Amino acid sequence: MDPKLTEVSQLFERFKAAFIRKDFNTCENFLSQLKVLLTGFRSLPPLFEDTPNAVHELTLARDIYEHAVVLSVKVEDQDAFERDFFQLKPYYTDARNRLPQSPQEYPILGLNLLRLLVQNRIAEFHTELELLSSTALENPCIKHAVELEQSFMEGAYNRVLSARQTVPHETYVYFMDLLAKTVRDEIAGCSEKAYDYLSISNARQMLLFTSDKELLNYIEEEHPEWEIKDGSVYFQKAKESAPCKEIPSLQLINQTLSYARELERIV
Amino acid sequence: MTQDVEMKELQAPSNSVASASPSTFQHLKEIASLIETGAYAREVRRIVRVVRLTMALRRKLKASVLSSFLNFALAPGSDVHSRLSSYLPKEDDQDMDVDTATSATQTSTKHSLPELEIYCYLLVLIFLIDQKRYNEAKACASASIARLKNLNRRTVDVLASRLYFYYSLSYELTGDLAEIRGNLLALHRIATLRHDELGQETLLNLLLRNYLHYNLYDQAEKLRSKAPRFEAHSNQQFCRYLFYLGKIRTIQLEYTDAKESLLQAARKAPVAALGFRVQCNKWAVIVRLLLGEIPERTVFMQKGMEKALRPYFELTNAVRIGDLELFRSVAEKFSDTFNSDRTHNLIVRLRHNVIRTGLRNISISYSRISLADVAKKLRLDSANPIADAESIVSKAIRDGAIDATLDHANGWMVSKETGDIYSTNEPQTAFDTRIAFCLNLHNEAVRALRFPPNSHKEKESAEKRRERQQQEQELAKHIAEEDDDDF
Repeated sequence: MDPKLTEVSQLFERFKAAFIRKDFNTCENFLSQLKVLLTGFRSLPPLFEDTPNAVHELTLARDIYEHAVVLSVKVEDQDAFERDFFQLKPYYTDARNRLPQSPQEYPILGLNLLRLLVQNRIAEFHTELELLSSTALENPCIKHAVELEQSFMEGAYNRVLSARQTVPHETYVYFMDLLAKTVRDEIAGCSEKAYDYLSISNARQMLLFTSDKELLNYIEEEHPEWEIKDGSVYFQKAKESAPCKEIPSLQLINQTLSYARELERIV
Repeated sequence: MTQDVEMKELQAPSNSVASASPSTFQHLKEIASLIETGAYAREVRRIVRVVRLTMALRRKLKASVLSSFLNFALAPGSDVHSRLSSYLPKEDDQDMDVDTATSATQTSTKHSLPELEIYCYLLVLIFLIDQKRYNEAKACASASIARLKNLNRRTVDVLASRLYFYYSLSYELTGDLAEIRGNLLALHRIATLRHDELGQETLLNLLLRNYLHYNLYDQAEKLRSKAPRFEAHSNQQFCRYLFYLGKIRTIQLEYTDAKESLLQAARKAPVAALGFRVQCNKWAVIVRLLLGEIPERTVFMQKGMEKALRPYFELTNAVRIGDLELFRSVAEKFSDTFNSDRTHNLIVRLRHNVIRTGLRNISISYSRISLADVAKKLRLDSANPIADAESIVSKAIRDGAIDATLDHANGWMVSKETGDIYSTNEPQTAFDTRIAFCLNLHNEAVRALRFPPNSHKEKESAEKRRERQQQEQELAKHIAEEDDDDF
């Protein structure tokens, strides 16, 4: 066996040991060493040279990057997640014909979809979605993310929240928690437009707080314009400022001027 | 993916010209002489005509005719000749004899012209594709591309752009598009360096098509936004570009822009390109639905498209009524069509619009309705329909889709009076967009008035004018002298 390959495999074993011990600092150290070592292999993307150990090297590298992605979720580093995911992606797309499919593929793709959803990058979400085959779409991990997006767009927020209980993979919990925060802001934004007032207990339930105090803190920080009296939250103030009827004079002047200019050009 | 086949036919508007005259071979000879004059005079216009005439002949190409043309145009025994002949199926030699006589006398002058050589490649390639001999077509196309890389002549560009197209088509037909991506990129780079704008245009489209074939929208958009843009040289290429652009934008949720490009592509496409227009219309319908618009019935009743657009018509109907159940059954019924059109994911996105329209209908019909009834009417089937309905309604209120308030304590939705739309700015903006459209149309029409690139003619006429002026001056001098003489 190639000495370089043995070195990487041994280091990776130590990485995995540290990973199981949840010693994430050591993991990160090993990971950066591993990444440097991986650059030495010519069979990996973007070169894809046909070396005798190509399949073995590709599989090992894919395994390393898969662990890197999961690690970035564990240490809650979204930037690292994005970087590692993009390094991993060629192994799923371009090396598809050379390797047997990884069992981690769908969970990680689903995780990435979830990340895009959390970061509200919906356009990229759909771009990624187009790349998936219909069998991939049937996979519970992917399906989970797709359904979340749908419920999110529709506004069925409690479906989003209840999805936390049915996560297909333990790593998903981190993003689901982030999503819950986004959902709370969304609900707050919607309620302020949809209701005249809400009783405090109802508002607390809706905004997913466990105690009234948390709710009051939240209102104070995020929505100081909401009014609290007689045990209810009034959204009147926020509403009054919104529909402000104004004659769009400047816009009209601009339009009329442009008509005049265009007409002059024709005549 | 039928649009390509159809797009090619539209380049043959002069069918009648071809049918009138005697033999295909004679025609090819005429074309060859046209190429020669075009090449010597460096007139790109003539080469464009060559391509057009060739398309008219396309249906009549036969192996025997082609091989005699190869004998006529290329020196027998030369590299190109033997390579191209090897692609053609062997047939009886009877009309070979007729032509060898003519070719023998003329070859000495012919074989030096690269334009003619490239044209022969093109002809053989088209023939091979029409005969469905794709593997030979691939080999022939690759050989021609290798030859093209060493040629840098403006008169070749037009032929080259056609060759690129068939090169890509032959690979697409065998399903190996990914293989040639690197090559196409290299060709695009070469075309850019040579200021071959038609080539760039064609290659950019081929690359976009290549990416979109594998749903690589990200890469396609990156390439598109960075590639140099200039005024379109070919209407067909521009249509394709708009179509691909529309698709990319649809996927990236920029529906307004997407709608514009798709509708423009459908409008600009020639009448003969039915398949292409159907595709454009399918995508345009979905984009408009996603925007919350309901396409008019006339869109679906366009000539020759009724059948192809039928699934989309039923889909539109479901969205218009706002019935989730109907929507689901339509999506299921035509799922094969939607999958093959690769619009399935977009249709999944539409669910949200169906709910919106349904909700709007409810809010117009009822001044006050309980959330339980809303859930029932929308046919939301979930564990907790009332809570779902409540949050869906509140989001619709926030997005401005309906004008209502919620009462949580009593669990109902109260619709506000629908105000008179003429008291808002709505009519004014609608009027404005229409005026802007008309003015824009006028401007584009003015800009589209094309004048033939006759810069050399102007030079001639300038020379002539000088001559004329000189003559006039001389004449004037003579008259003056005569006048003098008279005295």
